[in-house]
Amino acid sequence: MTYISAAFEAHQLMSEKRSLMSFTGHFDHLAITLLLTNIKSKLSAIEITTGMDKRVYSVLVECIENVCKHSFHGNEKENIATLLLSKSETKYTIVTGNHIMNDEIPALKEKLETVAKLSPVELKQMYRVQILSKPTNDNNAGLGIIDIAIKSGNKIKYEFKKLTKNTSFYLLQTEISIKK
Amino acid sequence: MEPLIIRGTENSPEVRLDATSNRFIITGKSRPENADKFYAPLISWIERFEPILSGRKQDSDGNPIPVFKFKLEYFNSTSAKHIAEIIIILKDFVEKGYKVKIEWHSAKFDDDMLDTGKEFSNMVDLKFDFIEY
Repeated sequence: MTYISAAFEAHQLMSEKRSLMSFTGHFDHLAITLLLTNIKSKLSAIEITTGMDKRVYSVLVECIENVCKHSFHGNEKENIATLLLSKSETKYTIVTGNHIMNDEIPALKEKLETVAKLSPVELKQMYRVQILSKPTNDNNAGLGIIDIAIKSGNKIKYEFKKLTKNTSFYLLQTEISIKK
Repeated sequence: MEPLIIRGTENSPEVRLDATSNRFIITGKSRPENADKFYAPLISWIERFEPILSGRKQDSDGNPIPVFKFKLEYFNSTSAKHIAEIIIILKDFVEKGYKVKIEWHSAKFDDDMLDTGKEFSNMVDLKFDFIEY
C-alpha cells in the first residue's frame, strides 16, 4: 500500500468512527502532554456544563498511562502505540493499543478479568484497598484500571493479538456513557 | 520552618506549604512524570510540620488552625495514592489532638472531583470542608 492510500484509508476509517482524535506514534511524555492539552480544550468546548469533559479526560489519561506502563520497548516499530477517541450520540469510546511482552499478559489479564467481574460497589472497595496499600514495586498496583472502570461506568473490553513468540498487541476499549 | 513552594506546570500542581504564613495549598493538575519523586518532598515537609503543630498545641489559642487546601482540577491514579498518603498523615495529626482542617475544592459541575473528595473523607474517617469554585 502506498503512503497516500494508507493515509486516505486511515482518514476514511477515522471519520467513519467519528474520531475526535487519533494518534499513532511514540507515547513519550511530551507528545502525550501536547495531545492531552489539545483534547482537553476540545472536550471542554463540547461539554460546557455537563462535567463530562473532565470525566472523559480523566479516563483518557488513565488509558494512556496504562499504555505507557505496559508498553514493550523493542524496535522502532514496536515502540509505536495507538490511541483513538471517538464520540457518538450516546457515548465516548477510547481505544488504546500497544505492544506488550507475552510474559506480562497473564498477570495483566488476571487484573482485567477481576475488575470486569466487580460491581460498582465492589470496584469502590477495591479502589480503597489499593489506594491505602503500601507502594510496591508495581507502583500503580492496578489502580489505573480500577479507576477507568469506576469512572467509565462500563465494562472494559480488551484483546491480546499475538504477534511474535515474545510479543503481542494489547488493545483496550472503554466506553463512557453520555449523561442525559 | 522553610516553606515548600513549587510552581505549577501543565502536568504538576502548584504547591505552597508555608507554616509562617499559615498557607497550605495544592492546586492545579497532577499528572507528573514521576509522581513518587514529585510527592516525596511534600510528604516529608508535612511530616516535619508535626513538631510545630505539637508546639502550637501547648500554646493557648490564638494560633490559626492550619487549613490544608486541595484545589485540584485533575489528578491521575498515581497521584491519588500520594494524595491519600498526605490525607492519612493529616488524619494522624487530628488523632494526636492537633487542630488541622482539610478543605476540598471542586469546580462547579465536576461531580467526580467532589465524589473523590467524599470518598477520601470517608476512607480515612475525617470530616472535610467541601467548597465549590
